[in-house]
Amino acid sequence: MGLLTDPRAGTGKLIKLMLKWEKPLCFILYVGGIIWLMLLALPAFNDNTYFSENALLPGLVTKESNLEQTSKQYYHELIHEMKRYPDSMPYAWLSAKFSQLHLDVFVHNFSLIYPFQEQKFVGQNIYGIVRAPRASSTEAIVVSVPYRPINSIYLDTTPSVALLLAFAKFCRKQKYWAKDIIFLVTEHEQLGMQAWLDAYHGVTSGQEGILIAGDLSGRAGSIQAAINLEFHAMKITSIDVKIEGLNGQLPNLDLFNLAQNMIAKEGIRQSFQRRFDVNYRDKLKSWEYHFNTLMSMVVTQATGIPTGNHGLFHRFGIEAITLEGFQKSGRETEANFYQVGRVVESIVRSLNNLLERFHQSYFFYLLPSTDRYISIGLYMRPLVLIIAGVFIKAFSIWQRLQTSNNEKKNKIEEFDIGSVASEVLWAHIFGVLIMASPRFFALIGSRMFHLRTEDSLYASFALITIFTLLRRFYLRRSIKYENISLVCVIASIELATALMCIAMHNFSLALLTAIVYVPVILLITPHHKSASRLRSCQYIAWIILHPFIASAMVVMGYTYFNFPTDSVVSLLLRGYRANKQALVFSIVDSMIYGNWFYNVTTAVMLPIWLLFWNVMRSSAEVPS
Amino acid sequence: MSRKWLSNFALAGTIRLLLMNSEYQKTIGNRVEVSTALNSWKRVTEGVYLYEFGIDPYEGDLFHETPIGLYVFKLIQKYLPQWALFLLFVVTDLTTALCLAFTAKRYAIELATKRKEGKEDNRKSSDTPDTSALYVSAGYLFNPYIILNCVGLTTTVFTNLLYSIALVSMMRRSIFWSCMSIALLTLQGLYPVSLMVPATIHIASAAKNRRTNYFYIVTMIIIFTSVLTALFIISYNIMGSWSFLRNTLGFILTVPDLRPNIGLYWYFFTEMFEHFRWLFIASFQINVSLLYIVPLALRLRRDPMLLAFSYLAIAAIFKSYPCIGDVGFYISLLPLWKHLFQHMQQGFIVGCFLLFCTVFAPTVWHQWIYSRSANANFYFGVTLAFAIAQIFLLTDILFASVKHEFAVKHGINKKVNGNEAKLLLE
Repeated sequence: MGLLTDPRAGTGKLIKLMLKWEKPLCFILYVGGIIWLMLLALPAFNDNTYFSENALLPGLVTKESNLEQTSKQYYHELIHEMKRYPDSMPYAWLSAKFSQLHLDVFVHNFSLIYPFQEQKFVGQNIYGIVRAPRASSTEAIVVSVPYRPINSIYLDTTPSVALLLAFAKFCRKQKYWAKDIIFLVTEHEQLGMQAWLDAYHGVTSGQEGILIAGDLSGRAGSIQAAINLEFHAMKITSIDVKIEGLNGQLPNLDLFNLAQNMIAKEGIRQSFQRRFDVNYRDKLKSWEYHFNTLMSMVVTQATGIPTGNHGLFHRFGIEAITLEGFQKSGRETEANFYQVGRVVESIVRSLNNLLERFHQSYFFYLLPSTDRYISIGLYMRPLVLIIAGVFIKAFSIWQRLQTSNNEKKNKIEEFDIGSVASEVLWAHIFGVLIMASPRFFALIGSRMFHLRTEDSLYASFALITIFTLLRRFYLRRSIKYENISLVCVIASIELATALMCIAMHNFSLALLTAIVYVPVILLITPHHKSASRLRSCQYIAWIILHPFIASAMVVMGYTYFNFPTDSVVSLLLRGYRANKQALVFSIVDSMIYGNWFYNVTTAVMLPIWLLFWNVMRSSAEVPS
Repeated sequence: MSRKWLSNFALAGTIRLLLMNSEYQKTIGNRVEVSTALNSWKRVTEGVYLYEFGIDPYEGDLFHETPIGLYVFKLIQKYLPQWALFLLFVVTDLTTALCLAFTAKRYAIELATKRKEGKEDNRKSSDTPDTSALYVSAGYLFNPYIILNCVGLTTTVFTNLLYSIALVSMMRRSIFWSCMSIALLTLQGLYPVSLMVPATIHIASAAKNRRTNYFYIVTMIIIFTSVLTALFIISYNIMGSWSFLRNTLGFILTVPDLRPNIGLYWYFFTEMFEHFRWLFIASFQINVSLLYIVPLALRLRRDPMLLAFSYLAIAAIFKSYPCIGDVGFYISLLPLWKHLFQHMQQGFIVGCFLLFCTVFAPTVWHQWIYSRSANANFYFGVTLAFAIAQIFLLTDILFASVKHEFAVKHGINKKVNGNEAKLLLE
């Protein structure tokens, strides 16, 4: 009780010290958080991966498969078939092949009604099921391949389809399966996969009436795990394991370990984020290499876009990874499909051993290399340090208000709660309205100005940005110091809370947002009079951090990164086009897949930005 | 002033109706934080349906409202179309806010007279009874917990109305109405029986001498017991058997339903060895219903309203099936103690904690139930933090009232020998 109610806690030494050193303390926390984050790539700050789930029994079975010849045969047949359908999937051939293997073969039709133009696209997935001889179809494993026609812009996956068929042929003859195995060939990349998963579980993940998944005529049991294959050639040099899923969700670390171990066991080079494990003698160099791998993962995860078809499984509580194999480019040793087939076989047989769903190992982790990991307990601390600064800032502003109130005494009621509440409320309503309105914008654009969807969306979002920027420029107001401070406190706390919640779902996004936003926010204080040089710098910084402007800049940077040789003008043009596409993609992604990046940006970050903008632009009355 | 009132009520009603007619209504209604086994509208619908079929809804493990409630809800479901049902919930909520406003006004007037009688505190108080009433009603109307509770169509909306009637009749010293409302609440939720203590204290405090004092107390107890007995008999007549007891009061006491909610029971009793179950149920129930009644009543006998508030808060924190509607109800009473705020210490931290838990709970719920990357411990951690924050809030208020009393007695001047003195409780 003494601890709870000791009044010294209110105006004690600690608080006084904190109030006095607020600014330096916040910055020390920020810098400390970033340094800690960088240290995470050091071996002392992370751990070796290990198998937590004993039921997997990795690599304990005698592998029996030899898929080299069969897959070669399938490959040549398929190449021949594909030339006849350069734009679509050879459905008949695929289902005939599955049927020849005596699998339960089903075709799944789905359609997409493109949200802005009332256009309809259709597609088909084909899947065959090997029924488990030793169980009653209550559990299943999925092996999938995204089918890509010859004219596709993506890297070829024909060899993986051949491998899938060969592996299905192998599985059919074995009698030790305790789980059904679903062999799935999907069309239209992630759309097909999303539609199939929606149909399998009988749900709609995105908005109703956009991706129409229909129903499946055949099912196996509840899916325990999934392996997605993307091998680009019949002879590969290395296998990359991709894990980042929708909204930054990750599969269980055990599955990742399993894949990495099995690949290593077959003597194939394994990589993560397309970076091989390199051992430098020099500690600094080694740290730098691992840190770059780590950051590469953070950046990929932060976008919330799945790196492969595996990413869509995670939302259903299914652990999934993609194995991507690359064609020979230099003078590396090659692995043929005999080895690759054995990798797949051993992974699937390990999964077959599972007694219950993956639950043992970590679901929240970061990886600096293929064999080391940073668990949530380790990586949360730097983020909490960074965010703690914002809390401390809010607390000290609040505390100052309290003490000044106590000193004045004559007026207890300092806040105009009504006006503050309405300001906060309106900012949020504005955000939610923008979140809900892309369809409306597209409609107006196409009806009134005959613009394309991209253009009308881009124009309306540009207008919104300008409007939000300008509103305060000429609407400079002066309100009571206490009210501005209260708004500042509310916005800070909201930001901190939102970042912590985002961190639970997508740590990387929260981390990058915090790193960018926190230092500027620490500088924003409700002020009595304006005009100083620092203030104008702050304005510029805060304008750059406008969610839309910031994302546009990121896309620009990305364009520059990808096309560094272009001239400035063509870069700008490219960036402009990329921006338009990125905007449409993020909106459409949120509608089809339920990617919440766009929703969070408009409904959470934008209101917070607006509140701080109000704080910056309003100057307080001089207290009389 | 009246324009402000009107606009507040209109705005609150509109927000509720808009949300009720939006796509979010279902999501909100299904949230475990909003609907528990005791108050979910889904279960009411099921129970009424069974009842109309001639099946005793108390035979299964589904329906936990009182038979009187069952009868009323049957009429509601039978004769009211969807929109009227929504309207009924909204109007009930608005009425509750109105009752609370009356309570606040009465309480503020009482405080003011007390101050004048004491004459120690010569400060000119800036808050008139009207502003206090406005704040309390706004606190109820725009309380997000209450809005969610109303939009989720829980029967807690009606319970809250009864609570507010109990409070207002306590402030108005109406013996019959306080007994009536508290008896109804007791029949439904058992724990509100503790409200009889502040009601009796407040009503008896008007007595001129000792004898009338005793007279009041005895009358209160007699009326309360007879009303409660009458209610039980009516319930028996509606159902024709006593089977409802096991599924209403028994359900609350023995906690057989361990579906997660914002309370502390579910996790504890899922983890518990069956052997110890009864021991811990007994201790948990004693904690919420018996432990604090006497000490708090002795300490706060001069301020029955604060006593009622602390009973409400304790019940909302520790009861077996709490929901955010209960939490929201006592939180919206906070503006009554505006004069104590200056003595509070942890307001900011508690506020942050409450906000944080409220946002965090659905987040980890989603990860636990849907994406299966988190587990029950995460959610329990959040509910535990939520309960702790509420306990901090309550102790803070109570301690602030002690400090306030001290300040009133010994003058507000905090200077001792020319130095700033602090009030310590060691």
